[in-house]
Amino acid sequence: MFNFTPEERRVALFLLGLAFCGLILSNLIKLNCRMAGVAYPRIQLAKLDINKISLSELIGLKCVPVKLAQRIIEHRNARQAFGSLEELTEVKGIGQQRLEKLKDIFFIE
Amino acid sequence: MKRLLAGLAVFYGLGIILADLIRLDFWLITGVAVAVFILASLGRSNKYLFLPLFLFLALLAGCLSLKNSYRLSGCHIRNFVSYNHSIIYNVKGFISSVPELKYGRYWFSLRAREIQVDRLRYKCCGELLVKMDFARELNYGENLTLIGNLNRLYSFNRASQGYQDYLARQGIYLTMSIKDSRQIVRPGGFSGAKLIKSCFWLRAYLEQVISRHLPALPASILSAMVLGQKRDIPWLVNNSMVKSGTVHILVVSGFNVGIVAFIINLLLKILRFPHKARIILTAVCLLVYCWVTGATNPVIRATVMGLVYLMAYFLKREPDIYNSLVSAALFILVINPRQLFDIGFQLSFVSVLAIVYLYPKLKSLTRLEACKIKILKFIGEGCLVSFSAWLGTLVIIALNFRIIAPVTVLANILIVPLATLITLCGFTLVLSGLIYPDLANLLSLPTAGVITLLLNINAALIKLPFAYIYF
Repeated sequence: MFNFTPEERRVALFLLGLAFCGLILSNLIKLNCRMAGVAYPRIQLAKLDINKISLSELIGLKCVPVKLAQRIIEHRNARQAFGSLEELTEVKGIGQQRLEKLKDIFFIE
Repeated sequence: MKRLLAGLAVFYGLGIILADLIRLDFWLITGVAVAVFILASLGRSNKYLFLPLFLFLALLAGCLSLKNSYRLSGCHIRNFVSYNHSIIYNVKGFISSVPELKYGRYWFSLRAREIQVDRLRYKCCGELLVKMDFARELNYGENLTLIGNLNRLYSFNRASQGYQDYLARQGIYLTMSIKDSRQIVRPGGFSGAKLIKSCFWLRAYLEQVISRHLPALPASILSAMVLGQKRDIPWLVNNSMVKSGTVHILVVSGFNVGIVAFIINLLLKILRFPHKARIILTAVCLLVYCWVTGATNPVIRATVMGLVYLMAYFLKREPDIYNSLVSAALFILVINPRQLFDIGFQLSFVSVLAIVYLYPKLKSLTRLEACKIKILKFIGEGCLVSFSAWLGTLVIIALNFRIIAPVTVLANILIVPLATLITLCGFTLVLSGLIYPDLANLLSLPTAGVITLLLNINAALIKLPFAYIYF
């Protein structure tokens, strides 16, 4: 019955190992909700907080031209912080199409 | 000559480059090719004369195929479009790609069949890129009539020239913007290939399985690694992987094709299929997987290489990695010679070639075989594979992306094993999601955990001093 080939044994072990890891992680998350951070990535890994990013960081990213980056930071400083990403359209040089691209890069905490 | 196919591919590629550099008339090259062909036929018994002539013929074939690819057929839709932007065209055809949402617009390509200018109708062929400003449920193969301006692609600067060339390599020379729903008429009916439709349906279904069990970010990364769908990957993640030189893990590659072949072969083995039937069914599944993942250059390369290997096992011949690699290159270049200038094509083939050629040489140079500590040997081998690929692609990346990333070697040593694990977990998750969703819920946790670990390592690596240098 357990006449597995070496390949099949490896696959079975891999599946079992994966299931065990899943069980352990599931249990840890139930015990302590902070453990969810181990299993699921934080949003900061995928997007940047527009209210926290500095000018040099924004220029270094090369996601917007230098002048536009300066205007974004000036606009943000003038109004303390952005309330929503839609407010970016108030910056000269950002239309609806660029806003859609920027929504993929920035978030507001 | 053991690697005649390799010589053939090299000279065919050189012919393509030559035709791109030098302006030679198509018929002049044809005349020379005919003369060389006659000479080769006459001197076929003399091996010293035949071989150079044969390779020269391959070079001329490369020249001719590139010249031919620039010439559009008489019925091509571009021939009916003037530079005047005020003309309204009426184009009938069917959707030849899956409509995708990108930057708030829907993008798809339409294969044209009929064009109406004023009151004159013409049968036509060719594709155009459609950008739609509003949401509408459209599917591959659906018949459509579009009304609007057709724009020829101009090249005002180098950046737009690059985009124009990229679209031209896909066979697209025209774009149409759809801003109003009245510009689209849906007469109904289906004109696409049913096999391709089924592949697209399968891809959408598998993407649903992934997104059902994982949060958005890990799901986007897994979709890219298992199904070749990169559209949902956040810009920041893609950009940080470009900086660390690990963006190659976000595409379907030879490893994925190998896993598919392994899974299918294993399942068929368990079901006690005979050896030859197993090989044939595995080959069929590889072709389906190639279509499901969008048949991009790296997938075609890996699929053709896999098929060559399977054919060698079927015919009980010894497979040769160089021959399988060049047959994949020839397969792509014969269909579309302009792919030689595509960065994805260059990186895909050069990285594999660098690993195949440089890795054994570096291994013997560093005397890694003599190392008796297994773990050290394993790490050393990983370093050498990463270093070989980095060395091979260094010039292409530096010239095209203007970036040199010394962190690449270290990043690949840490990230490639994790990416391998994610791919294995991804395939397991997809299969269990299809068969037993409750188990998939359990497996999704370690999969998401490994993806999180990979993203954290990558984010930490690019923060190292001199990790990457833009110039």
